[in-house]
Order: sequence, then C-alpha cells, then structure tokens
Amino acid sequence: MPSSAGAGAERGGGTSRAAALEVEHLESGYAGVMALHDVSISAKPGTITAVLGANGAGKTTLLATISGFVRPRQGRVALDGTDLTRRAPEEIVRAGIAHVPEGQAVITELTVEENLRVGGLWRHGQGGRSAALEDAYKRFPILGAARHRSAGTLSGGERQILVIARALMASPKVLLLDEPSLGLAPRIVAQVMELIQRLRDESGLTVVLVEQNARSALAIADLGVVLNVGRVVVIENAAVLAADEALRMHYLGF
Amino acid sequence: MTEFLQFTLGGVSFGMVYAAIALSLVLIWRGTRILNYAQGAMAVLTTYIALTVINRTGSYWEGFVVALAAGLVLGAVIERVAIRPVENKPPLNAVVVTIGLLVLIEGIAGIIYGGQFRSFPPAFSLNGLHAGSVALGISRNDVFVAAAVLVVALALAALFRFTSTGLRLRAAAFNPYAARLLGVRVGRVFTLGWALAGLIGALAGLLVSTNTFLYPSSMDSIFVLGFTAAVIGGLDSPVGAIVGGLILGVALNYVGGYLGSNLVPIFGLIALVAVLMIRPSGLFSVSHGRQV
Repeated sequence: MPSSAGAGAERGGGTSRAAALEVEHLESGYAGVMALHDVSISAKPGTITAVLGANGAGKTTLLATISGFVRPRQGRVALDGTDLTRRAPEEIVRAGIAHVPEGQAVITELTVEENLRVGGLWRHGQGGRSAALEDAYKRFPILGAARHRSAGTLSGGERQILVIARALMASPKVLLLDEPSLGLAPRIVAQVMELIQRLRDESGLTVVLVEQNARSALAIADLGVVLNVGRVVVIENAAVLAADEALRMHYLGF
Repeated sequence: MTEFLQFTLGGVSFGMVYAAIALSLVLIWRGTRILNYAQGAMAVLTTYIALTVINRTGSYWEGFVVALAAGLVLGAVIERVAIRPVENKPPLNAVVVTIGLLVLIEGIAGIIYGGQFRSFPPAFSLNGLHAGSVALGISRNDVFVAAAVLVVALALAALFRFTSTGLRLRAAAFNPYAARLLGVRVGRVFTLGWALAGLIGALAGLLVSTNTFLYPSSMDSIFVLGFTAAVIGGLDSPVGAIVGGLILGVALNYVGGYLGSNLVPIFGLIALVAVLMIRPSGLFSVSHGRQV
C-alpha cells in the first residue's frame, strides 16, 4: 500500500513537490473553548483531502480557521509558502483560498448571475469578469438557464452548484468545501462528488472536503484525515482508509 | 379643487424631503441594521457649513456642493470612528451611540454657530407658480426640492443596480458573511454606505432649511417625519422610503391645509404609531416583524 504522501505527490503531477495548503500545529476554537488541538495537515497541489469525523470533531472549525473567520490561538496556515495566519477572511480569499461553508451562504436576494459576479468582483477587469461568467455557464449549464432568477428560488442541489461555481469565479488555488452533500438527495450527492473530482482532474484544484458522508468522500479523495474531539487521529491514503474496516468502524461508523 | 391641487403639490415637495431623510436611514439600516438617530443632527451641521460658505462667497451653489461633500465625509468618519466599534454588538449599543452623536453634534453646532434662528436662502425663487390663472401653491424652489431628491434617488438606484460598487453594497447589506467569503471588503463597503447616507441627509438639510429656518435642533422634527416615512416604506426598501415620504408629505399637507398647521406634528406621530401597530414591517417590506 502506498503511503499517503506518495499518493498526493502522484496526483500533483510532479509540478510542485511543495504542499499547496499547509496547516501546522493549529490550536483554535470559539469563545475560549478549544475545538482544535495541534492539528497539522498538508494538502498537495491537485489533490482532494477528505476531513472526516463525528459531529463536534472540529471539522467546521478547521475550515473556518483556515479561511480566517476564526482566529487561531496558535499555529500557522500557509498557501504555497505564504503565511496567511490571522489575515482577514476577505484577504485570504484574495490570496487564493475559497471557502464554501455549510448551509451554502447563497445570497438569496440577488440573482444567480449577481451571486456569481460577486465571486469575481475583486479579481478580474470588466473583460475578465464576463469571460469568467461565460466559463461558469459553460461548465454549469443549469446556472446559465437560471441566470436571471433570484437565487432564493433554486433547489438545494442547484444552490450547491451555485456556491461552488461562485467560489471558482475567483480562480482559487484551494477550495474548502464544508458538507457539500448535506441535505441533498443521493443522486445529487453523486453529481456533486463527481463535480469535485472533475475540478481536481481538469483544473488541478486542491480541495479540502469536510464530510459527514465518509463513504462518498473517501471514494473521490486522495488523502483521508480523521478528526476526533479536535485532534488528528488518522492521516491515511483515502483508499487504504476506506479499505481498513477496523479504522472505519471505530471512527467513522460504517 | 384649486386648494386640493395646491395642498397636493406642496405636500409632494415636503414629502420628497422626508423621503430623502428616509432614504438615508434605509441605506444605513440595510447595511448595518443600525438606526441612525444622528442623521438629522448631521444634516444640521452640514447645512451650517453651507451657510458659512454662502455668506463668505455669495454663491448658493458653492455652499450646496460643499455641504454635500461635507455630508459624505461626515458619514464616513462617523462610521469609522463611532459606529465600527458597536457593529456586531447588541443593537442597544448602537442606539446609545447614535443618540449620543445626536446630542453631541447639535451641541457642537450650538457652540460654533449659536442658538438663534437663521434664515437659509432658497436655490430658486419662492414666488408662487401659476398654470394660466390658477395658482399652483408651489414655487420654483419647491419644484427644485422635489427634482433634486428625485435625481439623487435615481442616481442611487442606478449605482446599486448597474455598477460593481452597487453590487458590493447589496451583497454586503444582504449577507455580509457571504460577501466576506467572496472577497468583498465589507468594512469599506459599510463606510461607503454611511458616506452616501450622509450625502443624502445633507441634501435634505439644504432643501428643508429654507422653510424651517436653521438652528441646532431644527432637523429634529424633520428627522421624526423622515423616520416615519422610512417605517411606512418598511425601513428596508429604498423605493418604500420615497413612496413613504410622498404619502406622508401629502397627507400631512392636507392635515395642515384643511385642519390647521398646528396639528401636523401630532398627525406625524399618529401616523408613526399607527404603522407600527397595524403593519410594523411597513408597506414595502418582505420581512415579517421587526424590533424598533
């Protein structure tokens, strides 16, 4: 069985040996309650890292700390070697880490197109913006068809596609996805997982995927990380983790 | 019939001033969920600045432009210095801060300019306009008042609808969390919102002070009526603010014309209480229920 690091390097296509996203010794939490203890994860370029664990394991806190909404007490977050720890969320997006939170954060009062445009506002000139929009519609025809509809009228699956497409408007290097399958029908979950896989394979995007649905996540991931009460208890090649019945039963319950 | 026409047209002119105040309150409410009780006091200060410039240069329009610019700056500075620390705090904190600003700014205006009533020049002639032999009950200046607010409101609507800045303002107002996720510098956007509100408030002060005279608390009653207009419109809706202002202006002018002008302030308050009791979310709001 290959080690986890080996799998990551293969996926990276040899373009860079450095990790795209580097999380080192992170201590973080809300209102004095520490939710993360000494969490270190490195995500290689062009890989999917699945972060798994029970409710309250600290998965959402981890993403919120990486994207700047929660300030860590200690530790470091870096993208391609640039230290981003304690920067404001809006600056971290601009540095190349896009965060798609749980609950989707669609701006329901705006149209589908306006939601997408907000995602690319800071990045492109006028021409680049419309090109990025056209790209989004080409990749997600369903959004093109709904472009002038209020985003509040979209179904759950459509909203999930919208927020991912919106995050991509900024051409990020790293995409943080929090529970993208939450509340979606199984058929839609499969489509969303396939989309994430495509983003890695076609665009070389580095994805950190937080999921309750461990089976679906491990099926597309390169690396599996299991959090338990705020600590990393397992870092393993995703295929190995999925095959290891004892580990799975112990931490993931399937 | 002629009387009715006169009261209606006069009401439209007053109503547009209430609409301007309402619009400034709506801008800030939508962005930061703060009700700016100091909006009227800020307008007093910028109108004093206009008067100083007009007296010094002899040009109404120089004073006009300087006051609008002062409103823009004042709004931005107040947001940065006084409001930023209480954003995302319990709502009562912001209430206390803006009421404190109201007292502070009116006090400063009194110290600098004194408490006496000053007359403020009109932009255009105050002579009554006629259609043939029928007196319309309004002057060229009244027409200017309504037109100025209308132009600013349309410019604002265009800014919101058609520009990137407007999209940022809307995104930050509707969902600041999502806006930050997408790289919008929400802090700067809120500062801009307050600056625009300061500008519109300054316009209201310039337009109304010809009728009310200028003194440190001269905008207090106008603020209450502007607030009422905003509540009628639902506090969330710029269009509602304009319509609310017009409804209130015309209705109060009928009250003043047919029943006596001393009843106008009472009816303004009755309108406010009635809207809050019967339809607290306003005529144009999509949200349900609200704390004021």
